[in-house]
Amino acid sequence: MISKQDFPAINERAPEGLKADGTPFRVLVVDDSMFVAKQIGQILTSEGYEVVATAVDGLDGLEKYKELCPNVDLVTMDITMPKMDGIAALEQIMAFDKNAKIVMISALGKEELVKKALLLGAKNYIVKPLDRKKVLERISSVLGK
Amino acid sequence: MRVEYINPFVEAAYNILSEVLGGEIKRGELYLKSSSMPVMGVAALVGLAGDVEGRVIFDMSLETAMKIASQMNQEQLKEFDDLAKATITELANMITAQAVTKLHDLGFRFDLTPPALFTGQNMEISDHEVEALIVPMESGQGRVEVNVAIRDRM
Repeated sequence: MISKQDFPAINERAPEGLKADGTPFRVLVVDDSMFVAKQIGQILTSEGYEVVATAVDGLDGLEKYKELCPNVDLVTMDITMPKMDGIAALEQIMAFDKNAKIVMISALGKEELVKKALLLGAKNYIVKPLDRKKVLERISSVLGK
Repeated sequence: MRVEYINPFVEAAYNILSEVLGGEIKRGELYLKSSSMPVMGVAALVGLAGDVEGRVIFDMSLETAMKIASQMNQEQLKEFDDLAKATITELANMITAQAVTKLHDLGFRFDLTPPALFTGQNMEISDHEVEALIVPMESGQGRVEVNVAIRDRM
């Protein structure tokens, strides 16, 4: 009988959310939609990432980033949010930490804002509805995996 | 109401519902509504203002809203709580965003309000100055009506 041990390297790969030392990449999720935040969290944790915090608007995101820095590897940032939108939060986080890795989460129709975000230092963007494969590809490319 | 206003919403609703629910979506016959009509129990409303003005309502029964929210969350939700409301709101956001992209490509410029979610029994909506067109969409989770009332800005 063929057992798994006969093919030790097949279908086994390290989860994308783990660094070379085996510890997880730490992600801050900034989104005013409980549904989207939960969806991003589920996709990321299923691949080994750790969601260290979620923030409900840009201001909350900025404050949480400052608290967590340097113990945060990546931020997912919604664009349209109350109090402070994702573009302003991106600007302020980049001013605080020029090495911040921020991925914008956008609905269709926000192309101009996405371009602006990329010019301001966002590393990539993801358009909703969120597709698991697309989310993981974009995030791992930003983290250089 | 010009038909080019409603088609992008119908296409977007079809695309997004197919994508997030994963099943077959059937488009029903479009109909014009009277000045007042009941809404089914859960209604997500998005306002538009710019070259055109009006509103779009995504209308469904509470049972359908629960089934859609459960499917989108891939878990059986037990009550229409904050997560379920956020899910239906996000569904309205995604459909509207895709439709608006198409309308922007056609040259229309306008802004959107964030979705407002109305829930309750015996609700009625009245549009006395803008006629509304309704397209029913049948999903495995139940019927969603896309109710569009838009006019050129006076």
